[in-house]
Amino acid sequence: MAGEANDIVAPRGKLTRGALTGWAVLIYFFLFAPIVLLILFSFNANQYGTLPITGWTTHWYKDAFNDYQIQDAVKTTLSVALEVTIISTVAGTAAAFPLVRSNLPFRSGIRAALTLPIMLPGLLIGVSLLTFFTSTLHQQLSNQTAVIGQAVYTTPFVILVVAARLEGFDRSLERAASDLGANAWRRLRYVTLPLIGPAIFAGALFAFTLSLDEFVITLFLIGGGNTLPIYIYTQVKFGITPEVNAIATMLIAASLTISIIAFALPSAVRAARRRRRHTVPAIEASTP
Amino acid sequence: MRSRLSQYVGFAPAAVLFGVFFLAPLALIVAYSFWEVINYNVVHHWTLDNYRYFFSTPTYVTTLWDTIWVAAVATFLTLLAAFPLAYWLARYVRPSVRRLLLLLIILPFWTSYLLRVTSWTTILGEKGVLNRFLEAIGVIHQPLSFLLYNRPAVILVLVYLYFPFAALTLYATLERFDWMQLRAAMDLGAPPRTAMTRVLLPQIRPGITTAVIFVFIPVLGEYLTPQLVGGTRGVMIGNLIVNFFQGAEYTRGAAVSLLIAALIVIMLILFRKQLDVAEAYGR
Repeated sequence: MAGEANDIVAPRGKLTRGALTGWAVLIYFFLFAPIVLLILFSFNANQYGTLPITGWTTHWYKDAFNDYQIQDAVKTTLSVALEVTIISTVAGTAAAFPLVRSNLPFRSGIRAALTLPIMLPGLLIGVSLLTFFTSTLHQQLSNQTAVIGQAVYTTPFVILVVAARLEGFDRSLERAASDLGANAWRRLRYVTLPLIGPAIFAGALFAFTLSLDEFVITLFLIGGGNTLPIYIYTQVKFGITPEVNAIATMLIAASLTISIIAFALPSAVRAARRRRRHTVPAIEASTP
Repeated sequence: MRSRLSQYVGFAPAAVLFGVFFLAPLALIVAYSFWEVINYNVVHHWTLDNYRYFFSTPTYVTTLWDTIWVAAVATFLTLLAAFPLAYWLARYVRPSVRRLLLLLIILPFWTSYLLRVTSWTTILGEKGVLNRFLEAIGVIHQPLSFLLYNRPAVILVLVYLYFPFAALTLYATLERFDWMQLRAAMDLGAPPRTAMTRVLLPQIRPGITTAVIFVFIPVLGEYLTPQLVGGTRGVMIGNLIVNFFQGAEYTRGAAVSLLIAALIVIMLILFRKQLDVAEAYGR
């Protein structure tokens, strides 16, 4: 493992190790300084959102909460994210099955093509869809056009996550269910979905958080509405304000919460299931 | 047995989504790039004028090269910063602590991309943290104005944004490396440097390639970073595309978009083999 062979291998091991540790400290400082500053300034009384710190206040949070534009942007962001999540989870999960299981010709080619919306700049998706909506479909821009644009970008992520899970799926479990008389629906409901459920959930959560944060595609396609990133963008064009820092801090708290749930929930569910599995045989054993 | 067609039914929703709202718009942009705008209307005259116009305007050609240059420098610096960290994590850190430190690398990803860019304006700006700090300790008396709104600022922020990609990819390859091989090489008489370049480097090369791709390609299409911290001196190709479309020069914008898309697709095809190797190595 890691530590044991070091000092024998590199004669100046201690020195190298010290230098690397110092570098790591610098890097973590570099990664977190901007974020810590945002949080710090959201509580700073200084109205220019910079040093010096002139006192501590929660005033900017009150301002942010009472700003109806921000309230509006939060509502739009959440409703857009919800629609994007539903579309991409359904389309992505459905597509993952044939991608893994059918004897598809050009499978690796199709797979590569599916990652294209991730690899191409969001700018391109935004610009091309904007042109398509306005010139070909003669469609007014709205929250719905933004939803479609975001879904194009988020669905490949769901496909990748669910497909990865399906690849490790033991198909004899499904065959066993069929042999025991389960029809296609019951097999899906009681065998397949519970097994790939965590992956679908992870994919959905992925799509949701990507949508919350999506900026470029939305900028081109949203029309009159404002999602939170778009609202923040219109604000910071004229310099960052303490209200924006307050929103930033709340966003950080929110996404941290979501991520912690994402990390903790699957193992919690597994633990709960294990507990149930342990209790069920006990009950059965006591019945006869 | 299921019928041949029914096994593909699952593709239907995604096929509609990608076919109608991804491929069709892309095809439209391809067509646009060969059409022309007359009196703010797109006319279906097939022509190469948009490309000719782009390549005969020195500012645009310079911006294209600058974009590639910025992406290359940013990628190099990102990897340069990320490699020692990944190496340290994989070799010197106890596995239990490692999990936490890896989580900390991903953490910035969970904060808004937009805010990670804008927070740099509060650091580098004339009234920014860095200037205030340097004034307070008496190093400078006038705020430095060269910190923001130029190309180095863009590169710095790009390195900041894409650092986690590179660090995690490099870590993933280094973690699989068996460090005893270095010892074996040196027992057989190889000096440390030779052991590194002949034993370690060949084995982690696929990971390095993947890291390069994951940084270089998204940087090519960056719009927000040059827009917010680049000013007029930090313009990249993404800003050019937006300017064309906002100025109703759709066909010219389409041509530039296609140039970038072509560049990316060519790179993906070129490096496909190496990327596959990276996957094969993981198994």
